[in-house]
Amino acid sequence: MQKAKGKSWFIVVILASLFLSACGGGGTAEPAQDGKSAGKVTVRFATWDSEENLSLQQQLIDKFNEAHPDINVSLEAYGSEYDTKIAAGMGAKDAPDVMYMWNYPTYKDALEPLDEYIGKEGAEFKNNYYETLWNYNSANGKILGLPVGYTTHVIYYNKDLFDKAGVPYPKGGWTWDDLQASAKKLNNPEESISGFAFSGKPDPYDFEMFLWGNGTAYVDKEGNLQGSVNSEKSIEVLTMFQNMLKEGYAITTEGSGSTEMKSGKVAMFSNGAWSIGSLKEAGINFGVVELPAFHDGSAVSIVSSSGISMSKDSKKKEAAWEFIKFWTSEEANKARIDYELPVLKSVVESEKLQQDERKQVFYNMLEQSQDYTPASYKVENWSEISDRLGLVFEQIFNPSTMTDPKAALDEAAQ
Amino acid sequence: MEQAVARHKRVRIIGKLTPYLFISPWIVGLLLFTIGPLVFSLVMSFFDWPVTSAPKFVGLENYTKMFTNDPQFYKSLAITLKFAVLYVPLSLITSLILAMLISQPVKGVKIFRTIFYLPAVVSGVAVSIIWGWIFNSKYGILNYALSLLGIEGPKWLIDPASAIVTIVIASAWGVGTMMLIFYTNIKGISPDLYESAAIDGAGSIRQFTSITLPLITPTLFFNLITSTISALQQLTLVLLLTNGGPLKSTYFYGLFVYNNAFKHHKLGYASANAWFMFIIILLLTALIFKSSSAWVFYENEVKHERKRGGKKK
Repeated sequence: MQKAKGKSWFIVVILASLFLSACGGGGTAEPAQDGKSAGKVTVRFATWDSEENLSLQQQLIDKFNEAHPDINVSLEAYGSEYDTKIAAGMGAKDAPDVMYMWNYPTYKDALEPLDEYIGKEGAEFKNNYYETLWNYNSANGKILGLPVGYTTHVIYYNKDLFDKAGVPYPKGGWTWDDLQASAKKLNNPEESISGFAFSGKPDPYDFEMFLWGNGTAYVDKEGNLQGSVNSEKSIEVLTMFQNMLKEGYAITTEGSGSTEMKSGKVAMFSNGAWSIGSLKEAGINFGVVELPAFHDGSAVSIVSSSGISMSKDSKKKEAAWEFIKFWTSEEANKARIDYELPVLKSVVESEKLQQDERKQVFYNMLEQSQDYTPASYKVENWSEISDRLGLVFEQIFNPSTMTDPKAALDEAAQ
Repeated sequence: MEQAVARHKRVRIIGKLTPYLFISPWIVGLLLFTIGPLVFSLVMSFFDWPVTSAPKFVGLENYTKMFTNDPQFYKSLAITLKFAVLYVPLSLITSLILAMLISQPVKGVKIFRTIFYLPAVVSGVAVSIIWGWIFNSKYGILNYALSLLGIEGPKWLIDPASAIVTIVIASAWGVGTMMLIFYTNIKGISPDLYESAAIDGAGSIRQFTSITLPLITPTLFFNLITSTISALQQLTLVLLLTNGGPLKSTYFYGLFVYNNAFKHHKLGYASANAWFMFIIILLLTALIFKSSSAWVFYENEVKHERKRGGKKK
């Protein structure tokens, strides 16, 4: 009997301790999530940046926290799985209050429309941004994020290879015919140098800019693929790229082409501002130039933009807006200038970026690319269409298929 | 008296509870992180849930769409089954050969044992990156080695015909755990058997087919089941090495489910996909279990039967 009693006491103790530890966990976690420990509001801020950029962001946040004794912004770095984690957070009704954002059409239902907030700041506030960027930070006519950074696409060229082949550097206002003529001259199979490189699996979102340049797009105003993606002008664009491969002076790359450019074996390739840093590091003597135009078209670029948004479910919207304003202020734009192209006209002016040999090219492309809206903003099921188009482009460029562009695009339009 | 009985009863109930209490951390974990999500995903498979907004009940629509209106579903299923057919035998054979090799009494065998097991310790992400470099058709070491032999290697990750082979090879590289299971079983076979076989004049091949192989069938059975399951669930490698390409030739079922959930944000549909795969795995495993009586040999069973038979006589 005595023994059994001891046993049951033991069990009670275990049960109690289990129960306590379960409560304890919740107990300590809750005030932090509630965001109101000691009268301070905690704003959760999710970023996709990592490494060096992340520590820069933390420094900037520390500055904000110092200046705002009643707000505490905590940085959450989600890294490369950013989209998965954001989506999971939204599904669990536990999204961060403030987050970096790029794919507005997908997340629009979980984001707070910001038009009213922006309206209260006055017209000057809104006009200081490049107009093109508002298109990209909205969905269904509502502004869902403030622009933080952007890049347009340009052509990078290897100056040393141009010098060696005696080809003059490309200049803004050139055409695809010019690019092809130069690429032919630069191509040198003996030294395995290619004139031009482009991705064999281009991201359909990016690739639409070439269709724009030739006066067409993936979808028409109603969002139909038929008659747009397989229009004569679209076929012309894809055929031109495929022919460059067939004629042998261009290659496709597995990634963006940045790796191949770094190896010094590629004379030209097209990409956003992302490659500047790595090409500098690799010691490549390179220049950038606006995209070429089609014979009777214009040079248009897609804008890869990043913005900052607020969660619809956030309970601290005022504090969140305060932080968003700080994150898009002149001060913050200047702090990020080494890795992000500023989006405020006043900063571009004060930092004289229009005089910068490389950066001005990106701003020129931005100004030329107004009034174009990517298909992802026009259709409901973009991620599926993007999958389908991606497959079609791969079929057209993959050496083992080299499908006829017309046939492939007709199929995609079905 | 009555009181004593009641007390006795209570003690007995508590006595029965005690073992469960000791494994309660595991039970809590199972309920919270396995059973819970499992049931949740089953419920979700009857909903249309675009993640960013509230789920909507759609009944069996996800299932009917899967079977009648999604060609990619069948394609992905076929690719995964093809992979399993290639991968399972290959991984069983390689791990068995490796296990035989590392159970030989050679100098430095411990080093080999470690080397062969190493891939099982390396994380799937690192493995994918390494194989990505090896298989790069332009700069990869594999095609360089082949070129030294005068062979022009295929464009491993670009040509849709070779891409699935690439994945099979990269997966079969990580058979360390299976090898180890075979190895412990082989080591456990009594040397007497081999000795008497040798006296009877059996060569090493005969010894393998007549002694080793029959005695390790239970392990073979276990490895067959686990490798079938892992083949049908393969995701990491395709996600990182090919991302389904080229031309969707490695768009495995696992990737199909993953992309439906996290790329296309169709969580309900992806749950239905996942449950269908669960049923396939369940059926396949049941089938292998059913077949086991025909080819799996348990030493204990035989000994037991002999004893009983002896008594009867």
